Amino acid sequence: MNGLLTVGTLHSTAYDGMSYTRGGTVDRADVGALVQSAADGDAAAWKSLVDGLGPLVWSVARSHGLSDADAHEVYQTAWFRFAQHLGRIREPEKTGSWLASTARHECLKLLRASKRWTPTDDPQLLDRPSEDRTPEESVLDSEEAAAQTERVRLLWQEFEELGERCRQLLRVLISSPPPSYQEVSAALGIAVGSIGPMRQRCLRRLRARLEARGTK
Amino acid sequence: MSDLNDEYGERDAPDERDAELYDGLLEEELRQAAAILDPVPAELRRTAVDAFALRDLDARVAELTFDSLVDGIPVRGEADPPRMLTFQSDGVTVDVEVTAEGLIGQLLPPGPAGIEVLSGPRAHARLTADDMGRFTGEAPPAGPFALRLRTGREVVVTEWLRA
Repeated sequence: MNGLLTVGTLHSTAYDGMSYTRGGTVDRADVGALVQSAADGDAAAWKSLVDGLGPLVWSVARSHGLSDADAHEVYQTAWFRFAQHLGRIREPEKTGSWLASTARHECLKLLRASKRWTPTDDPQLLDRPSEDRTPEESVLDSEEAAAQTERVRLLWQEFEELGERCRQLLRVLISSPPPSYQEVSAALGIAVGSIGPMRQRCLRRLRARLEARGTK
Repeated sequence: MSDLNDEYGERDAPDERDAELYDGLLEEELRQAAAILDPVPAELRRTAVDAFALRDLDARVAELTFDSLVDGIPVRGEADPPRMLTFQSDGVTVDVEVTAEGLIGQLLPPGPAGIEVLSGPRAHARLTADDMGRFTGEAPPAGPFALRLRTGREVVVTEWLRA
């Protein structure tokens, strides 16, 4: 993957060429068609769905402040359940919202469970270092990318120090490819209409933090 | 448009447009950072790809209709109450109680069945429901699980969830 740190290059192949608009109509016709193909037995279509919507599901798990092991389980549960319901999904074009909402409900359940229960998570899953270097990580290894790396780390650090609500909203908004506001709404249980104003407030708060640190 | 509006238009609109542009750029930069620092773990992505094998066109899905974690009334003094789950599809009900010690279940209407405890795309264990529809087994494995029940007439799979 070249041009890594330029806008738009991280979009998965399944979504290339799709136009995204914010807070309005997002063309999800392709998702509906992929779901239909997958239901008919097309494994490649399934894979495209995993690549296109997996980051959204992951962002939902991550935005709820779960342990790594719990986040893994939420992600798995959402996909297992989707596989199970494949062919019975009533509105295939809304699969992103279906997955986001399923993941959210599992997150809330795990949060409830962890309050009464000391986690005895599978130690294998806890803090397991990733076996594979992603292309992105490999890029970070190179010398030329050092300055960029520093900038990315700093940005992430300031992001993580935002208040919980901003962190949660932004974590879902920045999944790749960008989710529709309907999907964000399903992921976080907030009204579509409040996403735009919250997004603006949170991004400006983050920018103020970065400026305070002397980075733009 | 009045002069006043023109004045505002000239003074404020470009600033606001710039601010929105910055918002968009910052969001995109964060998106790149998330893809680098918090991507979907590779082994998880593989698990989701493999989950295609879980679509089970012959089976009916028994949906979760009761979960003590969500619907239950907290029992005072009980630190670790059993998890009670009820799954239902047309005409078949599966009640399951999960504790650290194991799993106890009841199939309704009562009757014998072969049961697979699924843990991801593989079967984790095989159990049998007796003539009264009762079954017991070890506690399900860590992570999401489902039960695949084969009665004389049909195959029913419970909705995936974490015990």
